[in-house]
Amino acid sequence: MAEESIPTWEDVARRYGRKIYNFAYRLTGNPDDAADLVQEVLLRVRKGLASYTPGSFDGWLWRITRNAFLDGVRRNQRRPTSALPDDDRLALVPSPSPDEVLASVRLSEDIQSALLKLPIEFRECVVLCDVVGLTYEEIATAIDSPVGTVRSRIHRGRKMLRELLTWPI
Amino acid sequence: MADLTPAPCDIGELMSAYLDGELQPGELDHVVEHLGECTDCILEFRQLKEARATVRTLPRLEVPERLLPSFHFGPELSAYLDGELPTEEQTLVFGHLQACDECRDELHELDAARTAIRSLPGLEPPVLLDVHREPHRARWQGRRGRVVAVAAGAVAAAVIAVGVAGNSAPEPTIDLDSFTNQHVARASVEAGFTVIPAVGPVGLEP
Repeated sequence: MAEESIPTWEDVARRYGRKIYNFAYRLTGNPDDAADLVQEVLLRVRKGLASYTPGSFDGWLWRITRNAFLDGVRRNQRRPTSALPDDDRLALVPSPSPDEVLASVRLSEDIQSALLKLPIEFRECVVLCDVVGLTYEEIATAIDSPVGTVRSRIHRGRKMLRELLTWPI
Repeated sequence: MADLTPAPCDIGELMSAYLDGELQPGELDHVVEHLGECTDCILEFRQLKEARATVRTLPRLEVPERLLPSFHFGPELSAYLDGELPTEEQTLVFGHLQACDECRDELHELDAARTAIRSLPGLEPPVLLDVHREPHRARWQGRRGRVVAVAAGAVAAAVIAVGVAGNSAPEPTIDLDSFTNQHVARASVEAGFTVIPAVGPVGLEP
Protein backbone atom coordinates (compact mmCIF):
# COMPACT_ATOMS: atom_id res chain seq x y z
CA MET A 1 0.00 0.00 0.00
CA ALA A 2 1.44 3.36 -0.96
CA GLU A 3 2.66 5.37 1.98
CA GLU A 4 0.94 8.54 0.77
CA SER A 5 -2.57 7.19 0.59
CA ILE A 6 -4.78 6.63 3.58
CA PRO A 7 -7.02 3.63 3.00
CA THR A 8 -10.57 3.35 4.21
CA TRP A 9 -11.22 0.87 6.95
CA GLU A 10 -13.11 -1.28 4.43
CA ASP A 11 -9.95 -1.41 2.36
CA VAL A 12 -7.99 -2.45 5.41
CA ALA A 13 -10.53 -5.14 6.21
CA ARG A 14 -10.45 -6.44 2.68
CA ARG A 15 -6.71 -6.37 2.20
CA TYR A 16 -5.53 -7.30 5.67
CA GLY A 17 -8.45 -9.17 7.22
CA ARG A 18 -7.10 -12.56 6.24
CA LYS A 19 -3.61 -11.80 7.52
CA ILE A 20 -4.91 -10.42 10.77
CA TYR A 21 -7.08 -13.49 11.20
CA ASN A 22 -4.17 -15.83 10.58
CA PHE A 23 -1.96 -13.85 12.94
CA ALA A 24 -4.68 -13.98 15.57
CA TYR A 25 -5.41 -17.65 15.09
CA ARG A 26 -1.78 -18.70 15.33
CA LEU A 27 -1.28 -16.61 18.44
CA THR A 28 -4.45 -17.63 20.24
CA GLY A 29 -4.99 -21.12 18.88
CA ASN A 30 -8.72 -20.95 18.49
CA PRO A 31 -11.14 -19.47 15.97
CA ASP A 32 -13.36 -17.62 18.42
CA ASP A 33 -10.51 -15.64 19.94
CA ALA A 34 -9.15 -15.01 16.47
CA ALA A 35 -12.51 -13.68 15.30
CA ASP A 36 -12.78 -11.46 18.36
CA LEU A 37 -9.34 -10.07 17.70
CA VAL A 38 -10.11 -9.33 14.06
CA GLN A 39 -13.22 -7.41 15.09
CA GLU A 40 -11.34 -5.53 17.76
CA VAL A 41 -8.53 -4.62 15.37
CA LEU A 42 -10.94 -3.40 12.70
CA LEU A 43 -12.73 -1.27 15.28
CA ARG A 44 -9.46 0.28 16.37
CA VAL A 45 -8.44 0.84 12.77
CA ARG A 46 -11.74 2.56 12.07
CA LYS A 47 -11.22 4.90 14.99
CA GLY A 48 -7.52 5.35 14.39
CA LEU A 49 -7.66 6.17 10.69
CA ALA A 50 -9.07 9.61 11.49
CA SER A 51 -5.81 10.56 13.18
CA TYR A 52 -3.48 8.40 11.10
CA THR A 53 -0.72 10.30 9.35
CA PRO A 54 0.77 8.69 6.26
CA GLY A 55 3.85 6.71 7.03
CA SER A 56 4.51 3.03 7.47
CA PHE A 57 0.95 1.77 7.27
CA ASP A 58 1.93 -1.83 7.88
CA GLY A 59 3.88 -0.88 10.97
CA TRP A 60 0.91 1.13 12.25
CA LEU A 61 -1.58 -1.64 11.54
CA TRP A 62 0.47 -4.41 13.11
CA ARG A 63 1.17 -2.32 16.17
CA ILE A 64 -2.58 -1.94 16.61
CA THR A 65 -3.06 -5.64 16.03
CA ARG A 66 -0.37 -6.63 18.47
CA ASN A 67 -1.63 -4.25 21.14
CA ALA A 68 -5.16 -5.56 20.71
CA PHE A 69 -3.83 -9.08 21.15
CA LEU A 70 -1.89 -8.18 24.30
CA ASP A 71 -4.92 -6.39 25.74
CA GLY A 72 -6.93 -9.54 25.15
CA VAL A 73 -4.30 -11.63 26.84
CA ARG A 74 -4.36 -9.35 29.86
CA ARG A 75 -8.14 -9.53 30.03
CA ASN A 76 -8.13 -13.30 29.81
CA GLN A 77 -5.18 -14.06 31.99
CA ARG A 78 -7.15 -16.58 33.94
CA ARG A 79 -8.05 -18.49 30.85
CA PRO A 80 -5.64 -21.11 29.52
CA THR A 81 -3.69 -19.83 26.53
CA SER A 82 -4.31 -22.96 24.52
CA ALA A 83 -7.81 -24.02 23.69
CA LEU A 84 -6.63 -27.11 21.92
CA PRO A 85 -7.70 -30.32 23.58
CA ASP A 86 -5.02 -32.30 25.35
CA ASP A 87 -3.60 -34.81 23.00
CA ASP A 88 -2.09 -37.90 24.51
CA ARG A 89 -1.23 -39.57 21.26
CA LEU A 90 2.33 -38.40 21.49
CA ALA A 91 2.74 -39.89 24.94
CA LEU A 92 2.04 -43.30 23.47
CA VAL A 93 4.91 -43.15 21.04
CA PRO A 94 7.52 -45.62 22.30
CA SER A 95 10.79 -43.70 22.27
CA PRO A 96 11.12 -43.13 18.54
CA SER A 97 14.13 -41.49 17.00
CA PRO A 98 14.02 -37.71 16.74
CA ASP A 99 13.50 -37.94 12.98
CA GLU A 100 10.59 -40.30 13.38
CA VAL A 101 9.03 -38.04 15.94
CA LEU A 102 9.56 -35.02 13.76
CA ALA A 103 7.88 -36.78 10.87
CA SER A 104 4.94 -37.71 13.07
CA VAL A 105 4.25 -34.18 14.26
CA ARG A 106 3.90 -32.52 10.93
CA LEU A 107 0.21 -32.10 11.47
CA SER A 108 -0.62 -28.47 11.73
CA GLU A 109 -2.35 -29.07 15.06
CA ASP A 110 0.94 -30.17 16.51
CA ILE A 111 2.77 -27.21 15.11
CA GLN A 112 0.04 -24.95 16.42
CA SER A 113 0.29 -26.58 19.80
CA ALA A 114 4.05 -26.04 19.85
CA LEU A 115 3.57 -22.41 18.89
CA LEU A 116 1.26 -21.91 21.83
CA LYS A 117 3.93 -23.17 24.18
CA LEU A 118 6.29 -20.36 23.21
CA PRO A 119 6.42 -17.30 25.43
CA ILE A 120 4.20 -14.64 23.92
CA GLU A 121 7.04 -12.32 22.98
CA PHE A 122 8.76 -15.09 21.00
CA ARG A 123 5.50 -16.37 19.53
CA GLU A 124 4.42 -13.02 18.17
CA CYS A 125 7.78 -12.43 16.48
CA VAL A 126 7.85 -15.89 14.90
CA VAL A 127 4.26 -15.56 13.70
CA LEU A 128 4.77 -12.06 12.33
CA CYS A 129 7.83 -13.32 10.46
CA ASP A 130 6.80 -16.78 9.27
CA VAL A 131 3.02 -16.53 9.04
CA VAL A 132 2.36 -12.87 8.27
CA GLY A 133 5.59 -12.38 6.32
CA LEU A 134 6.84 -9.11 7.80
CA THR A 135 10.46 -8.05 7.66
CA TYR A 136 12.47 -7.64 10.85
CA GLU A 137 12.16 -3.88 10.47
CA GLU A 138 8.38 -4.07 10.18
CA ILE A 139 8.19 -6.38 13.17
CA ALA A 140 10.36 -4.00 15.16
CA THR A 141 7.90 -1.20 14.37
CA ALA A 142 4.95 -3.37 15.28
CA ILE A 143 6.30 -4.44 18.66
CA ASP A 144 8.03 -1.12 19.31
CA SER A 145 11.43 -2.71 19.92
CA PRO A 146 14.85 -2.59 18.25
CA VAL A 147 15.55 -4.85 15.28
CA GLY A 148 18.17 -6.63 17.38
CA THR A 149 15.47 -7.68 19.81
CA VAL A 150 13.36 -9.00 16.97
CA ARG A 151 16.26 -10.97 15.62
CA SER A 152 16.99 -12.50 18.99
CA ARG A 153 13.36 -13.41 19.68
CA ILE A 154 12.85 -15.05 16.32
CA HIS A 155 16.00 -17.07 16.79
CA ARG A 156 15.15 -18.19 20.27
CA GLY A 157 11.57 -18.89 19.32
CA ARG A 158 12.65 -21.15 16.48
CA LYS A 159 15.10 -22.99 18.69
CA MET A 160 12.36 -23.64 21.20
CA LEU A 161 10.01 -24.76 18.47
CA ARG A 162 12.55 -27.19 17.17
CA GLU A 163 12.97 -28.68 20.61
CA LEU A 164 9.21 -28.86 21.14
CA LEU A 165 8.63 -30.55 17.82
CA THR A 166 11.48 -33.00 18.18
CA TRP A 167 10.89 -33.99 21.76
CA PRO A 168 7.25 -33.38 22.45
CA ILE A 169 6.25 -33.27 26.07
CA MET B 1 52.37 -21.95 12.57
CA ALA B 2 48.71 -21.69 11.67
CA ASP B 3 46.22 -21.29 14.46
CA LEU B 4 44.09 -24.45 14.35
CA THR B 5 41.81 -23.42 17.19
CA PRO B 6 38.26 -23.29 15.82
CA ALA B 7 36.61 -19.92 15.91
CA PRO B 8 34.24 -19.55 18.85
CA CYS B 9 30.58 -20.20 18.00
CA ASP B 10 29.36 -16.64 18.10
CA ILE B 11 26.94 -16.67 15.21
CA GLY B 12 23.91 -17.82 17.24
CA GLU B 13 21.02 -15.60 16.25
CA LEU B 14 22.79 -14.57 13.07
CA MET B 15 21.76 -17.94 11.67
CA SER B 16 18.07 -17.08 11.83
CA ALA B 17 18.74 -13.69 10.31
CA TYR B 18 20.74 -15.46 7.58
CA LEU B 19 17.77 -17.73 6.85
CA ASP B 20 15.51 -14.69 6.60
CA GLY B 21 17.91 -12.65 4.48
CA GLU B 22 18.11 -10.12 7.29
CA LEU B 23 21.85 -9.98 7.96
CA GLN B 24 23.49 -6.61 8.18
CA PRO B 25 26.29 -5.73 5.77
CA GLY B 26 29.50 -7.41 6.83
CA GLU B 27 27.81 -10.21 8.74
CA LEU B 28 27.27 -12.52 5.82
CA ASP B 29 30.94 -13.39 5.30
CA HIS B 30 31.36 -14.14 8.96
CA VAL B 31 28.35 -16.47 9.08
CA VAL B 32 29.23 -18.32 5.90
CA GLU B 33 32.85 -18.70 6.96
CA HIS B 34 31.89 -20.05 10.36
CA LEU B 35 29.29 -22.46 8.97
CA GLY B 36 31.98 -23.78 6.68
CA GLU B 37 34.13 -24.93 9.56
CA CYS B 38 31.82 -25.67 12.50
CA THR B 39 29.83 -28.89 12.37
CA ASP B 40 27.89 -28.01 15.52
CA CYS B 41 26.63 -24.80 13.99
CA ILE B 42 25.84 -26.54 10.72
CA LEU B 43 23.63 -28.94 12.66
CA GLU B 44 21.94 -26.11 14.51
CA PHE B 45 21.49 -24.20 11.30
CA ARG B 46 19.71 -27.17 9.73
CA GLN B 47 17.45 -27.49 12.73
CA LEU B 48 16.56 -23.82 12.60
CA LYS B 49 15.84 -24.13 8.93
CA GLU B 50 13.56 -27.07 9.68
CA ALA B 51 11.72 -25.16 12.39
CA ARG B 52 11.25 -22.16 10.12
CA ALA B 53 9.95 -24.32 7.28
CA THR B 54 7.62 -26.12 9.67
CA VAL B 55 5.87 -22.94 10.75
CA ARG B 56 5.63 -21.80 7.18
CA THR B 57 3.81 -24.99 6.20
CA LEU B 58 0.88 -24.04 8.41
CA PRO B 59 -2.16 -23.63 6.19
CA ARG B 60 -3.41 -20.10 5.59
CA LEU B 61 -6.91 -19.77 6.95
CA GLU B 62 -9.73 -17.82 5.36
CA VAL B 63 -11.16 -15.06 7.51
CA PRO B 64 -14.88 -15.65 8.11
CA GLU B 65 -16.88 -13.38 5.81
CA ARG B 66 -19.09 -12.24 8.68
CA LEU B 67 -16.11 -10.40 10.16
CA LEU B 68 -15.62 -8.25 7.12
CA PRO B 69 -17.70 -5.35 5.83
CA SER B 70 -19.73 -6.17 2.76
CA PHE B 71 -17.95 -4.98 -0.32
CA HIS B 72 -17.70 -5.77 -3.99
CA PHE B 73 -14.73 -5.84 -6.27
CA GLY B 74 -14.51 -3.50 -9.22
CA PRO B 75 -11.51 -3.18 -11.52
CA GLU B 76 -9.88 -6.10 -9.73
CA LEU B 77 -12.27 -8.48 -11.48
CA SER B 78 -10.92 -7.74 -14.95
CA ALA B 79 -7.37 -8.02 -13.70
CA TYR B 80 -8.38 -11.28 -12.01
CA LEU B 81 -9.72 -12.64 -15.30
CA ASP B 82 -6.49 -11.73 -17.04
CA GLY B 83 -4.32 -13.21 -14.30
CA GLU B 84 -2.78 -9.81 -13.71
CA LEU B 85 -3.32 -9.55 -9.97
CA PRO B 86 -0.54 -10.23 -7.50
CA THR B 87 -0.86 -13.75 -6.11
CA GLU B 88 -2.11 -12.56 -2.76
CA GLU B 89 -4.85 -10.41 -4.26
CA GLN B 90 -5.76 -13.16 -6.70
CA THR B 91 -6.38 -15.44 -3.73
CA LEU B 92 -8.38 -12.72 -2.04
CA VAL B 93 -10.66 -12.25 -5.02
CA PHE B 94 -11.00 -16.00 -5.47
CA GLY B 95 -12.09 -16.40 -1.87
CA HIS B 96 -14.55 -13.53 -2.15
CA LEU B 97 -16.10 -14.95 -5.31
CA GLN B 98 -17.04 -18.10 -3.47
CA ALA B 99 -19.36 -16.13 -1.25
CA CYS B 100 -20.51 -13.15 -3.31
CA ASP B 101 -23.17 -13.75 -5.98
CA GLU B 102 -22.98 -10.15 -7.14
CA CYS B 103 -19.26 -10.24 -7.88
CA ARG B 104 -19.62 -13.66 -9.48
CA ASP B 105 -22.31 -12.33 -11.85
CA GLU B 106 -20.13 -9.34 -12.64
CA LEU B 107 -17.25 -11.68 -13.40
CA HIS B 108 -19.42 -13.72 -15.77
CA GLU B 109 -20.39 -10.59 -17.65
CA LEU B 110 -16.83 -9.36 -17.88
CA ASP B 111 -15.74 -12.75 -19.09
CA ALA B 112 -18.45 -12.72 -21.75
CA ALA B 113 -17.36 -9.28 -22.94
CA ARG B 114 -13.75 -10.36 -22.98
CA THR B 115 -14.59 -13.47 -24.97
CA ALA B 116 -16.56 -11.42 -27.49
CA ILE B 117 -13.73 -8.96 -27.97
CA ARG B 118 -11.17 -11.68 -28.30
CA SER B 119 -13.24 -13.51 -30.88
CA LEU B 120 -13.08 -10.57 -33.29
CA PRO B 121 -11.04 -11.52 -36.33
CA GLY B 122 -8.14 -9.41 -37.46
CA LEU B 123 -8.87 -7.23 -40.50
CA GLU B 124 -6.62 -5.92 -43.19
CA PRO B 125 -6.81 -2.12 -43.44
CA PRO B 126 -7.77 -0.75 -46.85
CA VAL B 127 -4.48 0.05 -48.59
CA LEU B 128 -5.63 3.42 -49.90
CA LEU B 129 -6.18 4.72 -46.40
CA ASP B 130 -2.43 4.79 -45.98
CA VAL B 131 -1.67 6.46 -49.22
CA HIS B 132 -3.30 9.80 -48.54
CA ARG B 133 -2.38 10.16 -44.88
CA GLU B 134 1.23 11.15 -45.18
CA PRO B 135 1.55 13.06 -41.86
CA HIS B 136 0.21 10.13 -39.85
CA ARG B 137 2.39 7.72 -41.67
CA ALA B 138 5.42 9.77 -40.76
CA ARG B 139 4.43 9.60 -37.10
CA TRP B 140 4.04 5.86 -37.27
CA GLN B 141 7.51 5.66 -38.71
CA GLY B 142 8.85 7.45 -35.70
CA ARG B 143 7.11 5.08 -33.35
CA ARG B 144 7.65 1.83 -35.05
CA GLY B 145 11.09 2.48 -36.40
CA ARG B 146 12.77 1.03 -39.35
CA VAL B 147 10.52 -1.95 -39.93
CA VAL B 148 7.67 0.31 -40.83
CA ALA B 149 10.00 2.52 -42.80
CA VAL B 150 11.17 -0.37 -44.93
CA ALA B 151 7.65 -1.64 -45.44
CA ALA B 152 6.53 1.81 -46.38
CA GLY B 153 9.28 1.97 -48.98
CA ALA B 154 7.31 -0.37 -51.18
CA VAL B 155 4.62 2.22 -51.64
CA ALA B 156 6.88 5.27 -51.52
CA ALA B 157 6.72 5.88 -55.23
CA ALA B 158 2.96 5.85 -55.18
CA VAL B 159 2.90 8.25 -52.27
CA ILE B 160 5.16 10.70 -54.03
CA ALA B 161 3.19 10.48 -57.23
CA VAL B 162 -0.05 11.19 -55.45
CA GLY B 163 1.57 13.90 -53.38
CA VAL B 164 2.83 15.76 -56.43
CA ALA B 165 -0.22 15.39 -58.52
CA GLY B 166 -2.80 15.49 -55.80
CA ASN B 167 -2.33 18.66 -53.79
CA SER B 168 -5.88 19.51 -54.52
CA ALA B 169 -7.11 15.98 -53.81
CA PRO B 170 -9.84 15.84 -51.14
CA GLU B 171 -8.90 14.59 -47.70
CA PRO B 172 -9.94 10.94 -47.48
CA THR B 173 -12.84 10.18 -45.23
CA ILE B 174 -13.53 6.93 -43.44
CA ASP B 175 -17.07 5.73 -43.34
CA LEU B 176 -17.13 4.22 -39.85
CA ASP B 177 -20.58 2.75 -40.27
CA SER B 178 -19.54 0.95 -43.36
CA PHE B 179 -16.31 -0.16 -41.75
CA THR B 180 -18.12 -1.52 -38.72
CA ASN B 181 -20.73 -3.26 -40.79
CA GLN B 182 -18.04 -4.85 -42.84
CA HIS B 183 -16.24 -5.93 -39.71
CA VAL B 184 -19.27 -7.43 -38.05
CA ALA B 185 -20.34 -9.10 -41.24
CA ARG B 186 -17.01 -10.78 -41.53
CA ALA B 187 -16.80 -11.58 -37.84
CA SER B 188 -20.20 -13.19 -37.75
CA VAL B 189 -19.19 -15.86 -40.21
CA GLU B 190 -16.04 -16.70 -38.30
CA ALA B 191 -16.18 -19.99 -36.45
CA GLY B 192 -16.67 -19.48 -32.74
CA PHE B 193 -17.83 -15.89 -32.97
CA THR B 194 -20.29 -15.07 -30.21
CA VAL B 195 -21.21 -11.85 -28.56
CA ILE B 196 -22.42 -13.51 -25.38
CA PRO B 197 -21.23 -17.05 -24.84
CA ALA B 198 -23.46 -19.79 -23.58
CA VAL B 199 -24.11 -19.49 -19.88
CA GLY B 200 -21.92 -21.79 -17.96
CA PRO B 201 -19.54 -21.90 -15.05
CA VAL B 202 -16.56 -19.65 -15.32
CA GLY B 203 -13.25 -21.07 -14.29
CA LEU B 204 -12.70 -19.34 -11.00
CA GLU B 205 -9.51 -20.97 -9.99
CA PRO B 206 -6.78 -18.34 -10.13
